[in-house]
Amino acid sequence: MSEAFLIAKGIAKRFGGLTALSDVDLEIRAGEVLALLGDNGAGKSTFIKVLAGAHPPSEGQILVAGQPVSFASPKDAAASGIATIFQELALSENLSISENVYLGRELKQSVLGVPFLRRKEMKQRVAELLKELDAHISDPEAPVGSLSGGQRQSVAICRALNLNAKLVIMDEPTAALAVAETRKVLALIRKLAERGCAVVLISHNISDVFEVADRMVVFRRGRKVAERLRAETEPEEIVALITGAHPDVRALEKAQ
Amino acid sequence: MNRLRSLHGPALVLAILAVLWVVVLGGLFVLKPTALSAATMTTVLQFSTILALAALGQALVILAGGAGIDLSVGGSVSLSAILAMLALKAGMPPLLLPVACIVAGLLLGLFNGLLVTRLAILPLIATLGTFFAYSGLALALTGGAPQPGVPQWLLPWGRGTLGGVPLPFVSAALPAFVLAGIVLVFTAWGRWIYAMGFNERSARLVGIPVDRTRLILYGLSGMLAGVAGLVSLAWFGSGRPNIGQNLELESLTAAMLGGIAIFGGRGGVGGVLAAVVLLVTLKTGLLQLNVNTVWQVGIVGALLIFVLLADRLSQRWR
Repeated sequence: MSEAFLIAKGIAKRFGGLTALSDVDLEIRAGEVLALLGDNGAGKSTFIKVLAGAHPPSEGQILVAGQPVSFASPKDAAASGIATIFQELALSENLSISENVYLGRELKQSVLGVPFLRRKEMKQRVAELLKELDAHISDPEAPVGSLSGGQRQSVAICRALNLNAKLVIMDEPTAALAVAETRKVLALIRKLAERGCAVVLISHNISDVFEVADRMVVFRRGRKVAERLRAETEPEEIVALITGAHPDVRALEKAQ
Repeated sequence: MNRLRSLHGPALVLAILAVLWVVVLGGLFVLKPTALSAATMTTVLQFSTILALAALGQALVILAGGAGIDLSVGGSVSLSAILAMLALKAGMPPLLLPVACIVAGLLLGLFNGLLVTRLAILPLIATLGTFFAYSGLALALTGGAPQPGVPQWLLPWGRGTLGGVPLPFVSAALPAFVLAGIVLVFTAWGRWIYAMGFNERSARLVGIPVDRTRLILYGLSGMLAGVAGLVSLAWFGSGRPNIGQNLELESLTAAMLGGIAIFGGRGGVGGVLAAVVLLVTLKTGLLQLNVNTVWQVGIVGALLIFVLLADRLSQRWR
């Protein structure tokens, strides 16, 4: 395994009196797909929001490539090479694919301080990215509103690639997809990892996770309760860890 | 019908508005042939200028979403004109009158923007409040009396024409629409406005400065109202405290007719300008035919419903 791209140490997050996360340590490596698993409210979404810069952590430290960082906004995280594909995908259906890929960081030609769009270059670059991802979308100028769920995922992934992201965080990328589309998106995720990207994935679908992830981390009640390599675990064990039926988890919870 | 079906969005809106305009002109010609003259068109464009400026601001605010609406445009037009005239009375150099008018409008608009973005008051409520405040203040400051004393050198601009087209229309309304159109279509700012208008959450997630953009657009709407106030001063030669009356509803109608989606994120400014001209033509025509003003408002309302219906039907065809 290569060196860790991101190291999270002792991350805690409290919302008022509610502790959503406590003392989470995690390493994320380049070229690796890491799956975060856990029941609803286990803290996975809060954790990735901390990584994505959407929530500042109450405690703990994040190191990116060995350097301590603190993110005030998703923009800061993006500047450190962390791109997040949120569940709601953050796409504007009224804009075209290429406009969405570049939204918020358009290629511009400044004339008297007015940022004119360089449409042609944006379109070309997006066409290349779509081809590279084998996304089967022919027209980068098509409105995103006309795309299927899987195609929208590829647009979101294009967006992340275009940010030159070194870590792509995906929140339930296959939750609302049909079978064929799910296959497509899982293939895209592997492709991302092969390009040297680190991928963090939240999913409730154990079989998807076993197909695509190299490593799995289980959250329960705001804590990280287990970490397993795919080769060393079984779906049954992961399910037991998630539900708390696993002896390790019981021992841990008793100790607290 | 097939041809109409193949038209999309802005083109469809423009086609419908053009057809309606021809119908209105045709109707007027049949009912009162003498009314149809070049002079009538000049009058229409003269009356269009103020509404066009107000409707452009209204359209931009609605386009940017977040339930955006500026009910205070009429009040802003009145109050910016009155404030500029009062400043003149208080000894401001006359040369500064245009600047004072526009800056007053800008500040009134920015105040709306602050209420909406900083205090997170629903735009409908915030601008309803400032609508009463601004138009009430314009009346209170003047006791309802027109404020005379607009410098003579300003009048030729307000009343002059260039090839039959009123100067304020050529030099203020038209450039404003062209600039707004260019910014919306060709610049990153334009993409941001469409993006936040359609899906504000996603716009925030990708790092678009949503609040700042919205604040600027409310400011811009106020500034355009200030320009409209200035046009009224140069046209009438005095500041009328009620000049902006009904502008909020008319500008809203023009924006809707022009194809701006009330929920934001869809539409263009070209349709808005066409809708303004259509509306004013209709009103002028009704005036020429001596139709009661009560009926005029009703007919404008019916037109709005008709166009919205046509838009809804065209979506069903696709």
